[in-house]
Amino acid sequence: MTKTPLLLGTLVAAVFAVGAATAQDVIRIGAPLPITGPLSPEAVKQQRGYDLWAETANRAGGVQVGGKRMKVEIVYVDYQSNTPRAVQAAEKLITQDKVNFLFSPFGSGAAKAASSVSEKYQVPTIAATASSAQVYDQGYKYLFGTFTPNDTLTEPLSDMVKKQAAGVQRVAILARNDLFPLAIAQEMEKSAKKRGMNVVYFEKYAIGTLDHASALSQIKSQAPHWIFATGYTNDLILMRKQMGDLKIEAPVVTMVAAPAYQEWIDGTGKLAENVSSAAWWHPAVRYKGKDLFGTTENYVKLFQAKYKAIPDYAEASASAAGAIFQLAIEKAGTIDKQKVRDALASMNEMTFWGPVKFGPTGQINSLEPPVFQIQKGKPLVLHPQSIRQGELQLGIK
Amino acid sequence: MLTFQILANGLVLGGLYACIASGFSLVWGVLNVINILHGSIIVLGGYLAFFAHAKLGIHPFLSILVAAPLFYAAGYVLQRTLINRMIAAPVLLTLSLTFGLDLMAQNGMLLAFTADFRTLIIEPPLGVLALGPVVIPIDRLLAMLLALALTGLLYLLLSRSRIGRAVVAVRMDREAAALMGVSVKRIYAVTFGLGAMMAGVSGTLLAMIYPISPLTGTVYLGKAFVVCVLGGLGSVPGAMVGGIALGIVESFGALWFGPENAATLSFLLLIVVLLVKPTGLLGRKGYE
Amino acid sequence: MPTGVDAYWLRLGTTMLMYGVLAMSWNFIGGMAGYPSFASAAFFGLGAYAGAVAQKYGLPMVVAWSLAGAVAALFAAALGFALLRLRGHYFAIASLVVAEVLREIVNSATNLTGGGMGLNIPVPQMASIADQARFFYYAMLGVAVLAFGAVLVTQRSRLGFGLRCIQQNESAADMLGVNTTLYKVNAFILSGVFVGVAGAVYASWVHYIEPPDVFDVLYSIKPIVMVLLGGAGTLFGPLIGAALFLSLEELVWRNYLSVHTGVLGLLIVLLVLFLPKGILAFRLRRT
Repeated sequence: MTKTPLLLGTLVAAVFAVGAATAQDVIRIGAPLPITGPLSPEAVKQQRGYDLWAETANRAGGVQVGGKRMKVEIVYVDYQSNTPRAVQAAEKLITQDKVNFLFSPFGSGAAKAASSVSEKYQVPTIAATASSAQVYDQGYKYLFGTFTPNDTLTEPLSDMVKKQAAGVQRVAILARNDLFPLAIAQEMEKSAKKRGMNVVYFEKYAIGTLDHASALSQIKSQAPHWIFATGYTNDLILMRKQMGDLKIEAPVVTMVAAPAYQEWIDGTGKLAENVSSAAWWHPAVRYKGKDLFGTTENYVKLFQAKYKAIPDYAEASASAAGAIFQLAIEKAGTIDKQKVRDALASMNEMTFWGPVKFGPTGQINSLEPPVFQIQKGKPLVLHPQSIRQGELQLGIK
Repeated sequence: MLTFQILANGLVLGGLYACIASGFSLVWGVLNVINILHGSIIVLGGYLAFFAHAKLGIHPFLSILVAAPLFYAAGYVLQRTLINRMIAAPVLLTLSLTFGLDLMAQNGMLLAFTADFRTLIIEPPLGVLALGPVVIPIDRLLAMLLALALTGLLYLLLSRSRIGRAVVAVRMDREAAALMGVSVKRIYAVTFGLGAMMAGVSGTLLAMIYPISPLTGTVYLGKAFVVCVLGGLGSVPGAMVGGIALGIVESFGALWFGPENAATLSFLLLIVVLLVKPTGLLGRKGYE
Repeated sequence: MPTGVDAYWLRLGTTMLMYGVLAMSWNFIGGMAGYPSFASAAFFGLGAYAGAVAQKYGLPMVVAWSLAGAVAALFAAALGFALLRLRGHYFAIASLVVAEVLREIVNSATNLTGGGMGLNIPVPQMASIADQARFFYYAMLGVAVLAFGAVLVTQRSRLGFGLRCIQQNESAADMLGVNTTLYKVNAFILSGVFVGVAGAVYASWVHYIEPPDVFDVLYSIKPIVMVLLGGAGTLFGPLIGAALFLSLEELVWRNYLSVHTGVLGLLIVLLVLFLPKGILAFRLRRT
């Protein structure tokens, strides 16, 4: 019995002998991501966004910190799409890898869970994909987010439908029973009711649902004017396809957030036509930023050159999170955590992502998320007015 | 009217479920192996159909002709080289073995194909069949008919051919079959090959209906479990009955209890069937 | 021990103890009685949610943990009477599905559990972060010690003897007058109660739980692998297995970012093929 524990001890020790070295002239930012597991497609997007920022910053010689330039390095850890593991990963990044700053794990749930760790160690953290107000109202000082609250998506959308499609009265909502998709569906319900519309159907579907035919048949029997569905890309490809199969027609069909992804448009083909959506950013927006990317057009161009694809809002938000850190560090002139935190809190800058100013909770409050619609296979911006590319088209078959 | 539509939805969904489960059921019944890898094999079949269509313009229905022998051979080899080493081991070990293999397969696919969802779109679309106000999508209907045909073929193979009768004999009583001069090892490999073939072929069919990603295999596997228990282990017609039962229960479950409870209902049904009639709706004899 | 140890190691230690509890608990039903149970995730998730909801309604933390243990024990008893009549694959599948059902129920009971939105657990008021980490380490250590005590007592009692009889030959044990149902249900309760408490401690420790995480099927599979690794039915096997498994998991996780699930799979395959009786058997054979 004595030999085994000994052997075990050596093994355990050997495992952890690989320590973390910290270089002096490198800014290290930790990024816990769901590289494996169900959320892995999202991790790829986040990684592309972060990498593009780091590469662009390093190509320019690095980030200006006081008198010298420092390179940036992003330290990735996989948390296997498992939220508690994300908390663990964040702690590992801070205590073992000694990162200077942190990007939150993916989504509102994980960002909220990990925020208690970064608060503990007072590490400035930017969440690139957390929209729920509950993430930010914990009284934390070190957490900042690039997404406005969920109702900033459903409100302008509802206004537009109310104004331009007068007959729309009956609304059907079908939501994935998951943090963000469910939260946005609840906001939609509020926005619709506020405008006197009648929510005739509101149901949730379980994660991993292989068939929406029943729910959709029921929706069809209610003859709604507006169908609002939420979910991830695969859910909404399947759902849109089954809507076609069941010959469901409605003046307005909105899906969040999948139509913002090229994958969804490719995956639904002609069925994508006239489906509307909203997101926090769109490649068609036009801002002239003070960040390293400058204009939105330039950002899209750089992204295309590197990945041969158009960036979506999640990818852009990841890049924006990096760019925002850079602005704050350059303004603070140091990588001191407290000073960078203060620079973030007082930030008021224009970026390729849009105007960046954080509210008292740390959540951005300066963005106006665009509403868009797929027309002739391409997404066109319908709102805000300043960057409008087209008019809302009614009728989905 | 809604009732008829839901019934139609349930029937075609059930056809897909039968398709997903039949190979899994066969392997479980004959080899006494719970093949966790089954879901990933379905996904691999999907990728085969996707790339054949995207790169070579081959219709998924034609891909089946390639998929069937390919997956049969792969399954045969996998059984002969790896699974057979553990064939007499307790449930837990064979299950852990296929679980480990599945983790490797998932990771491998993730590296090879990335996690992006691929969608196979057929132009022009197959459209729908309208029976009065009830509509049935033709791709699903065809998949269901093909599943039926394949199941029928498998059934014929098992009941008419020499090798098929040997498979059934081994399922009934391994020792006796061995005494009768049946090479049990070979029969196991053939059965595993057939199971992999059914999985691969269903994958090519499902590619027309579901977005493909390395991780969807887990969901298919979960459905296969329920279908098998409902229909009875190792029984090919049982998988058909179990699949359709599951499709109908889920469809009406979604209508009556809300879509988020449809899956829960099917799992509860599974537990009830296990407790009341562990041999399944059609089963006669239990194979432990 | 854990003063001056940094937070990362403390977290790893707490996880290690949690894995130990899971493995020792599974050993009651899987190792001693020989029933291939996949219900650990169900007990873990149930305990986590019972503890979290109790704390949400203002119960003190330690009371909430005990309550979670009681809920898990009661649930195991009821479940045991229903499911332990099944054998082999049938029992395995039924126990596997229980976690799925519970997960979906928790998902739908939005008012009580927060559903898909997850549930936040109040952070205990403590002097410092380090104290907090140390507190949860000791809490998990306490659960592990309790579980280990239960293993010790069981192995020397009639129950342990009866369970081994059941594993060898259940029908014979039945004929010899062993009340097999009662014994099996007891083993099942023992396999549930500590996992339930561990789930509750875990929930308080990570402050946030959501259904897919705490009802993750891996909580059912990992303890089995650990016990197989260490040797089923033995006293120290599960603990050694847990330590070894965590080290491997951590090693693979840290060093092979894009292939770690595959490497983990490979390890499981190799383990099953070459060391089906566990690491202890390997040692015995060599000496």
